[in-house]
Amino acid sequence: MSLPDRTGLSRREYLRAVVAVGGASALGACLAEDGETEDAVPGGTDDPESLPSRQHAWNDALSTDDDGNVQLPEHHVLVALSLVDDGEPTDEARETVETSLRTLERAYEWSNEGLVFTVGYTPAYFERIGSPTAETVELPEPTALTVREDPEPDDFDALLHLASDHAEVVLRAEEALFGEVEEVNGVAVETDLSTVFERLDDRRRTGFIGPGLPAEHTDTSGVPEEIPEDAPFFMGFRSGFRANQATEDRATITEGPFAGGTTQHVSSMDLQLETWFKQDSHRQRVSKMFSPEHVDEDLVGDIGEKLSTSSGVTDERIEATEEDARTRGVVGHAQKAARAREDGQPLLLRRDFNTVDGDRPGVHFLSLQREIEEFVRVRNAMTGADLAGNGVGGVQNNGILQYIFVNRRGNYLLPPRPLRALPSGDPA
Amino acid sequence: MMNRRRFFYCAGSVAALTTAAGCLGDDDSGDGPDADDETRTTAENETDERRVAPDLPEIEDPPDAVYVPTHREAMQMLEPVEAGAYALAPMLSYPHPFWLVDGRETERVDPDGSPAVHLMFTLWDADTGLVLPVESGAQIRVERDGQEVGSPRSPWAMISQEMGFHFGDNVPLDEDGTYTVEVTLPPIGVRKTGALEGRFAETETATFEFTYDEDFRRAVIGGIEYLDEDLWGERGALEPMEHGQGGGGDEGDDHEHDDSNAHDEGDGEDTGHEGEDGHDADGHEEGGGNGQHEDHGDGHVPYSSLPPAEDYPETLLGDPETGDATLVTTLLESDTRLTDGSHPYLLVSPRTPYNRVPLADMAISATIGRDGEELATVDLEQTLDDEYDLHYGAELVDVQPETGDTVTLTVESPPQVSRHRGYETAFLEMPPVEVEVDMEVPE
Ligand code: HEM
Repeated sequence: MSLPDRTGLSRREYLRAVVAVGGASALGACLAEDGETEDAVPGGTDDPESLPSRQHAWNDALSTDDDGNVQLPEHHVLVALSLVDDGEPTDEARETVETSLRTLERAYEWSNEGLVFTVGYTPAYFERIGSPTAETVELPEPTALTVREDPEPDDFDALLHLASDHAEVVLRAEEALFGEVEEVNGVAVETDLSTVFERLDDRRRTGFIGPGLPAEHTDTSGVPEEIPEDAPFFMGFRSGFRANQATEDRATITEGPFAGGTTQHVSSMDLQLETWFKQDSHRQRVSKMFSPEHVDEDLVGDIGEKLSTSSGVTDERIEATEEDARTRGVVGHAQKAARAREDGQPLLLRRDFNTVDGDRPGVHFLSLQREIEEFVRVRNAMTGADLAGNGVGGVQNNGILQYIFVNRRGNYLLPPRPLRALPSGDPA
Repeated sequence: MMNRRRFFYCAGSVAALTTAAGCLGDDDSGDGPDADDETRTTAENETDERRVAPDLPEIEDPPDAVYVPTHREAMQMLEPVEAGAYALAPMLSYPHPFWLVDGRETERVDPDGSPAVHLMFTLWDADTGLVLPVESGAQIRVERDGQEVGSPRSPWAMISQEMGFHFGDNVPLDEDGTYTVEVTLPPIGVRKTGALEGRFAETETATFEFTYDEDFRRAVIGGIEYLDEDLWGERGALEPMEHGQGGGGDEGDDHEHDDSNAHDEGDGEDTGHEGEDGHDADGHEEGGGNGQHEDHGDGHVPYSSLPPAEDYPETLLGDPETGDATLVTTLLESDTRLTDGSHPYLLVSPRTPYNRVPLADMAISATIGRDGEELATVDLEQTLDDEYDLHYGAELVDVQPETGDTVTLTVESPPQVSRHRGYETAFLEMPPVEVEVDMEVPE
């Protein structure tokens, strides 16, 4: 990919486009655009013990919105990694990985202003190193989860998720990990991953999230002008309210050698925004995204500004999902998905973000949960096959199914930080 | 290479406002129809290269019922394609307004003036020729020169007077050229019975191609057939289109049923309540009683038309109307194959007036009453059967209906299928209707 043409793009658009390209030239372009940021990025720590032992412990390190909901960093990169050597990883390789990752932690504050990241491993990885997780954690191969999809599996070995409010930081961190730069935020890069991992460029994924960012992409084919100016997500509504997310505790593995870790599901999907914004009305969008009651009671506002720390889906509405299908002819996504709560608590910690990878609108839906099986359960609730034919269609008026088209799925184990470097499947 | 043979449907059964020249497929298509200038107030510039859609006249204040639109839609028929258990017939027209259904309200969708087609397909069972009138998440992907054009989409389940139940959407294109459409058909999830049980369980993919160019635009825009203005907005419906087989389109203009669009309300429903002859069920078992079964086969495109009320066997309880739909209601005895054999089966078959197009994605419940008391209320389940086609049914487990019982049918939500013009004001407000059980159901 080549660098985007700067003309006609806002600063933010340009930076986003540069992140999508990646590599040293992108980093250069980014610095040229944003030269002063480098100094402004807060540095990290030399004391690894001061960092949380959960890789996914981001919430306390991130900013919050005016209502107190955790805000994900603006820029995201998912770097797909393939092991250079087969077989059980050597201590040296583990050392290399750990040192490389610590370089980033020394360079950047663990925050949205600096950098947060995770590294996760696929079932294919444990297979390749000949060390199954059968005894320690349930980590199934990714499969199709609905009848409407035929996803490519993430069958490479590992995935690095880098996130920061600064485009330059995610780019430089990635370059540093592969020895393409000598210094990262004032810290010398002495060790890098390139002897252990190869980057799979055609599997590299990028994205962004934040109020106003989607509306900056109306030049992209399939992104209509009608996207609300301030919407943080392509589909036009706020998401990720505190009450509708699993807590990090709830998403964390509690037993066995991987206690303190979590599982991650990543699905990548295309979005049909033309239909959503040019054909459906706002009231339809609200009823399909939240619930028909949200329309009656005018709970949402344009983009969800009337909601604060909850989607406003009450226990009563969750309970009434079937009835809404039959008597209202429509059910909401949030209402349907919430049917899978356990003891009233959501099971998924969603960290999904928008993308224009492939020059079309999509979502990289990244979700953390204690077990992959929980994701599957919630996804089934969201599919609502039980509702189809009972007042709503297979996809039509059945939440947001009509607008999403899944292309890839991947399952990962995110080990706790002490085990994050090339874990075996059964670390004693 | 896909099948590129084109044939245009054109005149049907309305007075031939258009001659073969408007039916196109041939080159002087651009002349367009000139028979009825008065009604074509704004649709003038036939030669304007940019014109992607016609300016269609509006009907002020249409009735809250099925009504005759201003015109018949012209379209290009592509060769039907088979894919596993399915066959589908793609059809293309100019982008035009249609109506989404949101509960009991509609949302009008207007084309935005950029290059686009109204892309449709009728989907049927390749074995039986039965149109499959349910929405189960079909997807389309459009490509040009190997590049995907726009994002994938799940086209709307729609009903139109001419095409019956079909899938369709206004699909934006970019330039003139040849486009490839890939249709993915996931398994059909609704309850399936009879010869359909266990079928449509695989995902299948069908592909077709079309050319978008000035010839196409002229043909479909110029091929519009305007009706006599007196008929606009009258209660009635266009007759189902007759799909030509072979080249120039068989216009069927040799039979002008002038009354086609003037079925008086009710006179299409001449079935009466003579339920007594309901026992000829066997005669229908091979689908012989169902018109749409007969005309599948080479190049034919079946139309989603349900059997008339009198063809429903067993105890026909009635065919009440609500919201301009007819709810053919029958009770099948406990030995019906539609249940496990120990309870009777209540079957409700809602359809449009005139053309008997099935109404999908409704929710209907039935309350059985006796001597003014409610005995039981059951939710009916949307079901697809090879003999009875799309219907809503329930096994009556808790109650044994007797002569004199009432069955109140409550439409909890009206058909959530999108509408072409002439259907958008009907089947929305659908108050409950009552039928009476007038035949003893044996133990
Ligand atoms: C384009 C894709 C999606 C969009 C735009 C979207 C949007 C939303 C929105 C607006 C809410 C309610 C507000 C909130 O987050 O607090 C919500 C809730 C939720 N969504 Fe999604 N979502 C998408 C895909 C998914 C997927 C693929 C899943 C996976 C199963 C999912 C699972 C959930 C869950 C579990 C909730 C919370 C339910 C609860 O309150 O218990 N969503 N989503």
